[in-house]
Amino acid sequence: MRGSPVITSLPASSTRRTRAGWRAGRQRGLVPYLFIAPNITLFTAFSFLPLIYAVYISFHDWTLIGEPNFIGIRNYLRLVHDTLFWRALANTLLYAAGTVPTSMATGLLLALALNRRLPARAFLRSLYFLPLVVSAVATGTIAAWMFNDNYGVLNALLVRLGASRISWLSSPYWALPSLVLTTLWVRVGFCMVVYLAALQSIPQMYYEAARIDGASVLHQFHHITLPLLKPATFLLLVLSIIYSFHVFDLIYVMTGGGPGFSTTMLVQYIFRLAFVTSEMGYASAVGMALYALILGFTVLQWRASRQAENVM
Amino acid sequence: MKGARATDTIGRRGLLGGGLAAAALAGAGLRPRRARADSPVVLTLAVWGAQAEEEAFKSVIDKYQALHPNVTIRLEVNGNSMQLYQLVDTRLAGRQAPDVFRIQYQQVGRYASAHALVDLTPYLDQGYANQFGPAFWQAVTFQDKQFALPHHTDTFALYYNVDFLRNLGVEMPRSLDLSLKWDEFIRIARQLKAKGDAPYGFAMGWQNSSAYRWLPFLYQHGGQMLDAELRQPLLASPTGVETLAWTQSWFKEGLVPPSTSVKSSEQTQNLFANGTIGMLLGGDWQIPFLQQNMTKYKWDVTYMPRDVAMASDLGGNCLAISRDSKNQDVAADFLKFIVSEENMRAFVTAAQFLPVRTGLMNQELAYALRPEAMKIYVEQARTIPDHLVRTVTMPVFSKINAAMADELDLTFTSGQDPATTAQNLDTKIKAVLGG
Repeated sequence: MRGSPVITSLPASSTRRTRAGWRAGRQRGLVPYLFIAPNITLFTAFSFLPLIYAVYISFHDWTLIGEPNFIGIRNYLRLVHDTLFWRALANTLLYAAGTVPTSMATGLLLALALNRRLPARAFLRSLYFLPLVVSAVATGTIAAWMFNDNYGVLNALLVRLGASRISWLSSPYWALPSLVLTTLWVRVGFCMVVYLAALQSIPQMYYEAARIDGASVLHQFHHITLPLLKPATFLLLVLSIIYSFHVFDLIYVMTGGGPGFSTTMLVQYIFRLAFVTSEMGYASAVGMALYALILGFTVLQWRASRQAENVM
Repeated sequence: MKGARATDTIGRRGLLGGGLAAAALAGAGLRPRRARADSPVVLTLAVWGAQAEEEAFKSVIDKYQALHPNVTIRLEVNGNSMQLYQLVDTRLAGRQAPDVFRIQYQQVGRYASAHALVDLTPYLDQGYANQFGPAFWQAVTFQDKQFALPHHTDTFALYYNVDFLRNLGVEMPRSLDLSLKWDEFIRIARQLKAKGDAPYGFAMGWQNSSAYRWLPFLYQHGGQMLDAELRQPLLASPTGVETLAWTQSWFKEGLVPPSTSVKSSEQTQNLFANGTIGMLLGGDWQIPFLQQNMTKYKWDVTYMPRDVAMASDLGGNCLAISRDSKNQDVAADFLKFIVSEENMRAFVTAAQFLPVRTGLMNQELAYALRPEAMKIYVEQARTIPDHLVRTVTMPVFSKINAAMADELDLTFTSGQDPATTAQNLDTKIKAVLGG
């Protein structure tokens, strides 16, 4: 240790005190590690080691039931020329574009509405949040029934209104919009809760001062609410994009990636490669590409969190 | 057969397949290994299936456990075949696969070629092969060894709504040689739709990526997917393109619900039961569902439509032992027990399947439900082309099926030109066969 005096010898009582202090210090130093040990163990076992193994497998040809064969970077070269991979990436981006701004905007509108004194406000807040706490498979199954071409409630309503039926999930043009609508149903509640918390943290005195100065409701929203919701908006933006890149269960249940490839997202494609065509090595390579994309957005999320902390 | 050319069917394969297998065993001079089960043994049996199948499995397990009190068999039931394969594949990778699992004939080659299954040949007596229909024995044979035992089969025929057809004044064929021709079948579907009893004429049960069920139509039209040696694809041919165009026309013309393409998860039996479709190209295992749920209408069964030939689908399952089984001898003994004549009879009659033992194939079985409808399926099973059996039991067929599902779905839902589909499929199949 630079600058520290070197102690060559100590009296016995002093040595005992130092040892006791060192032990206490070491115990104090160990305590935080003991607290995080379960988390670190689980993370290592179920996230970090599988990730390392996926990197290893991505350089192999592996059917899952046979032995892996090393093939170098061939899986990554295939990725570059794989039209289906690019189609899945485009679909994922399109899905993100369809779900992220709409869920955030609707969530904000709901939060603004439920931030006022309304009858049954707590009930309404719970109602909008409910789809988020229900399993995505259950939500997808319910949605698939609602959108069913032949006996779904939406087509029944359309027929009642004198309109013709829509092939919600079996037309390549309507399948993605149907998924976007279902995702909104699920995700709006989360956006609403985050916005609601952010709205309630805005001091009322800003609004009172603005009203004294004669600012209209729209002006108050534009010059007070929106700027102060910026950290929450940025956080939601990044989280929603990551969620959209991860989407699997809802689509697996509702369309299976079809019709054609119209709703095949990156995770669907990985699943199909791994468990339908038994190409686990190539599936891992596509997984790595998705990992790189999500990592990029995670860095953004980290920065967003820091920005939010600084503002608060 | 009026105007129909019969394809090479199961009947012609009898002597060849059974004879070869018996000769192989005799030539090798093998004595079968006998199972020993003296100490406590626990086996897992992983299956999928409807309630009737689950009950039938439980019944045969109870019988085996009563005869072997030291053996406990745990039954694991999964939602469908795809889910079971995902589970088995993952557990094989973790060296924890179930001892015994149910497997479609189309998947035996994939597992056997990856050394995931136990070679059953040492457990089988000479002449054991002769007890099974040769097509089914061939389907469980990989490189002259047996990797599974045939359990049952099923095939496709045509369900129809008796009330709707009566309203049209149409009488459905009651014998195989009078089965509907393609144009007659389509005419009835158009009439059903025009009359308005059902919004759609019919549907085909090939959902959840069971795209291989398209193949019987190709054989009916005189084509085949691969050449005789199974080395070259043949879809980019007039018969291939015409069959694609014919099946695409069902969707274009609105004769089938748009939601019934190959990659959808639509339950066609629901559509038939609730009168959304007037006819259903479906399998015999759907009889229990229809018997229980189709209460508003009467239903019956006739034969698959035909063109220049008759053909239907090779369905059904066998049972295999995984390489991870710690009790392979006992598992082999259980396998032979479950496919014995008595237990096969009990299983197929309870769960509405067709037997694969020669001793049962020509018998009139006492089916629990609609025995007269099952007779149609028994007859229809004789039209499964030999070449189709060899094609769908190739080790790489699961990859070909995935390619078929993609391309057929694009053809049916996105209007992809049949010639393009045929060309794309040939290219993909060539890549699979070359790999």
